[in-house]
Amino acid sequence: MLDYLIRRLGGTIPVLLAVSAFVFLFVHLLPGDPARLVAGPDASPQDIAAVRADMGLDRPLIVQYLRYLGQTAQFQFGRSIKTHQTVAELIGERFMPTLLLTVSAMLWSVIVGVGIGVLSGVKRGRWQDQVSMVLAISGISFPSFWLGLLLIDLFSVRLGWLPTGGYGTWQSFVLPAFTLGTGVAAVMARFTRSAFVEIAGEDYVRTARAKGVPERSVVWKHTLRNALIPVITLTGLQFGFLLGGAIVVETVFAWPGLGRLLVDSVSYRDYPVIQAEILLFSFEFVLINLLVDLLYGVVNPEIRLR
Amino acid sequence: MRSKLSMLFAGVLLFALPGAAFAAKDLVVGVPANLTGLDPADLNDNLSQSAARLMFEGLYMLDEHMKLQPQLAESYEASEDAKEFTFHLRKGVTFQDGSPFDAAAVKFSFDRAGNPENHLKRQSLFVMIAHTDVVDDYTVRVVLKYPFGAFVNDIAHPGALIVSPKSVQQYGKEVTRHPSGTGPYEFVSWSADTLKMKKNEHYWKAGLPKIETITYRSVPENGARIAMLQAGEAQFIYPVPPELIASLKNSSTITVFDEPSILGRYIALNNMRKPFSDPRVRLALNYAVDKQAFIKVVFNGHADPMDSPMPPLLGFYQKQGSYPYDPAKAKALLAEAGYPNGFESTLTGAVDTLTQRGMQFIQQQLAIVGVKVNVEPLEAGVLTAKEFNVKSPEDATIVMLYTGWSSSTGDADWGMRPMLYTKSFPPVLANLAWYSNPVTDAAIEEGLATVDPSKRATAYAKAQAQVWQDAPWIFLSVDHDLAAYSKNLHGAFMRPDQQFHLTADASLD
Repeated sequence: MLDYLIRRLGGTIPVLLAVSAFVFLFVHLLPGDPARLVAGPDASPQDIAAVRADMGLDRPLIVQYLRYLGQTAQFQFGRSIKTHQTVAELIGERFMPTLLLTVSAMLWSVIVGVGIGVLSGVKRGRWQDQVSMVLAISGISFPSFWLGLLLIDLFSVRLGWLPTGGYGTWQSFVLPAFTLGTGVAAVMARFTRSAFVEIAGEDYVRTARAKGVPERSVVWKHTLRNALIPVITLTGLQFGFLLGGAIVVETVFAWPGLGRLLVDSVSYRDYPVIQAEILLFSFEFVLINLLVDLLYGVVNPEIRLR
Repeated sequence: MRSKLSMLFAGVLLFALPGAAFAAKDLVVGVPANLTGLDPADLNDNLSQSAARLMFEGLYMLDEHMKLQPQLAESYEASEDAKEFTFHLRKGVTFQDGSPFDAAAVKFSFDRAGNPENHLKRQSLFVMIAHTDVVDDYTVRVVLKYPFGAFVNDIAHPGALIVSPKSVQQYGKEVTRHPSGTGPYEFVSWSADTLKMKKNEHYWKAGLPKIETITYRSVPENGARIAMLQAGEAQFIYPVPPELIASLKNSSTITVFDEPSILGRYIALNNMRKPFSDPRVRLALNYAVDKQAFIKVVFNGHADPMDSPMPPLLGFYQKQGSYPYDPAKAKALLAEAGYPNGFESTLTGAVDTLTQRGMQFIQQQLAIVGVKVNVEPLEAGVLTAKEFNVKSPEDATIVMLYTGWSSSTGDADWGMRPMLYTKSFPPVLANLAWYSNPVTDAAIEEGLATVDPSKRATAYAKAQAQVWQDAPWIFLSVDHDLAAYSKNLHGAFMRPDQQFHLTADASLD
């Protein structure tokens, strides 16, 4: 097991190396002159040259890449072009808001989503199923910025119960976590339902029923346990995506997270921040995938990790 | 025991007071983006500059009507040839870090910002300075390399705010996160999307400021910013999109701010390219656009038609008139120029909603006179590259550019020279119309060669008249600043240069 972990973690190094090269090239190939953007619309050539030298952009690309690689290997990510803050500090202060928002959104949406999915699967074709699926379709179809604004209008402006946005007290989590989780819960419900229905049609489920296994056991043990495998995969993927920062929800709720940081950085061509953020996201994905693989074994001991 | 009792008593008293008495004295300002820094010499965005202006002061400042007012200087004298400026400084002022404000601090700030080795973004404000001399503790003389009649306006720009030399020596480049000026508010903290400031207890204007603390919170979503104001979480928000202003007008607790800015909006036509090299074509396009309808459709009426190359609030502005909407005349002019059936062209601009709406409106208007326009929206980075990565007029790939300009010095020089002077062709400055007329050039130069207001006025009147007649642009509108604030806030404005501004005696009940 430990062997397996070490091997998997070791395997992330080439992935991250490839990502770093790709991201570096990609951001430097983006059209647009970052020095010009940073210097502003009324900048003179002197101003722009000053900015370019300050950013180290006057050196050849390969020199810039090697320098970047050397620094990254020592966990030095440089300073933001925009704010002169160290990138580690900048990402550090945005990481917790995004992580906590992701966790709180995932927590409720997975529980509710899977719950609704199982209910629909069990009561397939009946009114519970139909109501659930209408809910799920609505959840997927509501654009999150619209839902967010609607919730703000109701709970903050009209009722005054919850803050309109910002990151702080537990109250500030309620609306963004609900908005962010709605789409996820809906996807989860649909996905769980179809996985459940598919498994429910398998021979071994029919056999279990024929053998007189109690219905409860058929649902929970034979069907759900197997249906959960793809659901876990999906949960991992969703979690990974959300950790990258939910740009729309962070924007609507003025949430100081990684998604907004990335958008700001891209529009400002803040190379060091873009590079470090994408490297972080890749690392998170690799980690989550590993976690998902480990979870398979927990849910179904038949699956062995080698 | 007694102290405990009195604390208890105080506590009870506090709770007994009506709610309004303890309304937080924190002024929360909802702004659309994050700050980029707080080192005045290294800023180029309105938002960060407006924050810097609360913590720092300059020798002179522009008030909410764009008029020059003395701030850290009490007066100045200028030589006849506009090459030497002597400033007499206010006494008894200290920086927030405790060090004294004097002539040496002014020299330090100017030398630092103007030194190319420091790589600071506002270096261009200081390029005309030959040297700055300390005459005595409270007198400083600036000697210029060449005449620059707009110099006092130049240093009223937020890029020339005076920084504490001690703070720069202590923090170096990091001073952008440890600002220390002489302003009414001092820095507390800045993290992620929140900037906090508090009252400067040692401010040189006795009894001021009246507001205890100020928080800038970045809220990018327009609707969410408005909700913040409605829910009482913010007391001032900007910008408010024109289409949402009406929804706030009837509120009993909110005041809408709707005043002209100094942002002129126009379409720069490439004057070196056919068909725009023909003045009749440029005139035709000016007649082809209904400016009133443009303002109504794009800005819900919250703008004014442009009636000079410069917005009215800039120094030495002179009204030129209008190109009334006259599609028949436009068609006739096009026919005269050899385009009886119009022509096809591309209109380039940014990707934001208002620009999109504006470009689409122009597209429809020009179609009426037979000019088929393709709209090309470009992301900011791509757009600036396309605008400025050119070596000569022949390289320019943009033929019609939907753009605008706000002269942050409040003076005619920066209101015209960057866009209308031959030596300002990209990449040097923003003459994106590639407009060149020796008469205009000479007038712009005359305007800078003296500090005499009447001579400057004559020069800029000539320049404006010439540009208006040549019509290198399609003249569109002057934007309004749109903001909203709660009725218990007094003395808060949007300055015409689109920066949040508090008067010295601003207060929050």
